[in-house]
Amino acid sequence: MTGKRDWSRSRHRFGLALLGLLSLTGPAWGDAHGPAFGYSTTVLGVGDISIELAIMRRLGTTMLGPEVSYGLRQNLQLSVSAPFHVNHGEHPVGRFDPLMPGVPAVEGMAAWRVYHKLSGVATRNEGTLFGGFSATTQDLPRTDGRPLQQAPGFYGAGAVARITRRYYVSAGAGYEYFGTWNSGDLDRQSSTFLSSFVVGWRPPAFDRDYPKPDVRFFLETTGDWVGQASRDPAQNTGGPPPPPHNHGYRPAAAQSGGGAVVLPNSGGSGIFSGPSGLFTYKNMGFQGGMQFALRDQRNGTQPAERYRVVIGVSYFFLGGKK
Amino acid sequence: MTLAAKSILRLVAFAALICASNCLHAQYERIQMRVYGLDCELCARGVAASIMRLGGVKSVAVNLKQGLLDIALKPDNNFKMSSLRKRIQDNGFRSMEATVTAFGKFDGSRFEVLGSGEWFEVKAQDSKSPPPIELTFQTRESSLRAVP
Repeated sequence: MTGKRDWSRSRHRFGLALLGLLSLTGPAWGDAHGPAFGYSTTVLGVGDISIELAIMRRLGTTMLGPEVSYGLRQNLQLSVSAPFHVNHGEHPVGRFDPLMPGVPAVEGMAAWRVYHKLSGVATRNEGTLFGGFSATTQDLPRTDGRPLQQAPGFYGAGAVARITRRYYVSAGAGYEYFGTWNSGDLDRQSSTFLSSFVVGWRPPAFDRDYPKPDVRFFLETTGDWVGQASRDPAQNTGGPPPPPHNHGYRPAAAQSGGGAVVLPNSGGSGIFSGPSGLFTYKNMGFQGGMQFALRDQRNGTQPAERYRVVIGVSYFFLGGKK
Repeated sequence: MTLAAKSILRLVAFAALICASNCLHAQYERIQMRVYGLDCELCARGVAASIMRLGGVKSVAVNLKQGLLDIALKPDNNFKMSSLRKRIQDNGFRSMEATVTAFGKFDGSRFEVLGSGEWFEVKAQDSKSPPPIELTFQTRESSLRAVP
């Protein structure tokens, strides 16, 4: 009886510890089948499905990000993701992940592996192109005025990788551009350029054969350059003006295009680097990692982002068609 | 002939009939195939699950370090090697040489795997047993042909 109670108590503690860990993390992300932050070239087999759920926390903002991917044809994968804010904090800018928008949105994406050379046992060189369309779904409060109007986003990216049983190297870059739903809209969300360089390693101690659990470690470096958002001045209801001393500050009126006012508290650039790990067992994938800011320059009064933490979990329906 | 002898004779005849029936329908028996590009446990699991959904497959074992698939087939299958290669390709990998054990018959240097409509160029065997014969042979990545 006492033993059962102890087990129950320890299980309860474990659950609390897990919840605590999740709540302490920064942005949590990852597709659980490759790098956590950077570009991956891998696509699902024909008929395979993956379901992913992640919790992200970044600069006081908590996001939940479900994603479903499907292997439509050989080398062609379709994905739909719909990240949304659970609570609003200092809203981050830029993409969270190559496969996921960083703003609350519904995004459909196609990943087409255009180059695929299988040169040996457990050795392959790949190149993948990504194309996506998104629609923002939530009005995000801003400290400098009313929320920006919801907008459509267009995303294009490319990545290359060399993958062996022991090593992994990938590099990729992509650009997300936000337009407007109506030609008369002057609000414009920040567009983003994202790049990554990833090296991976599977230590000999974890080089065990199927069907044992699989472990791989990565060192991921990502860079993002985020453009400035703009707003229709006719609808600008105010908000605290930005201090003029910060990096990147430009007087709003001088940057207006077509009558739009560029928001000084938006945009910037950053380079982050750090370790991550991928653990797969049976049909599950677990991912975790941490990146630290090597360079972080945000315009205006935006808070600096010192680190990012990732946790992701996926389930794979494998086997495809009959 | 005693009753016991008759019973034994009937049993032997029945066993021979069953065996002949199986021999006629069990075409591919076992395939050990090298696959390029398999680098992780999840990839191996995906390929194995995909092959298991092909009709007639009894089990699939994967050796990641050697890049080998070991596929055992059920008796009375109508498995096709071309379907296996297609399935591996669909998963993003490349099927290479294989060691195949199958029942079939020779037509010159062509070994036709019974019921599958597929044949392979292999060295002709001097077999005294009537077809179908059981044969283990090596195939290259592209040596598979369909029976015209």
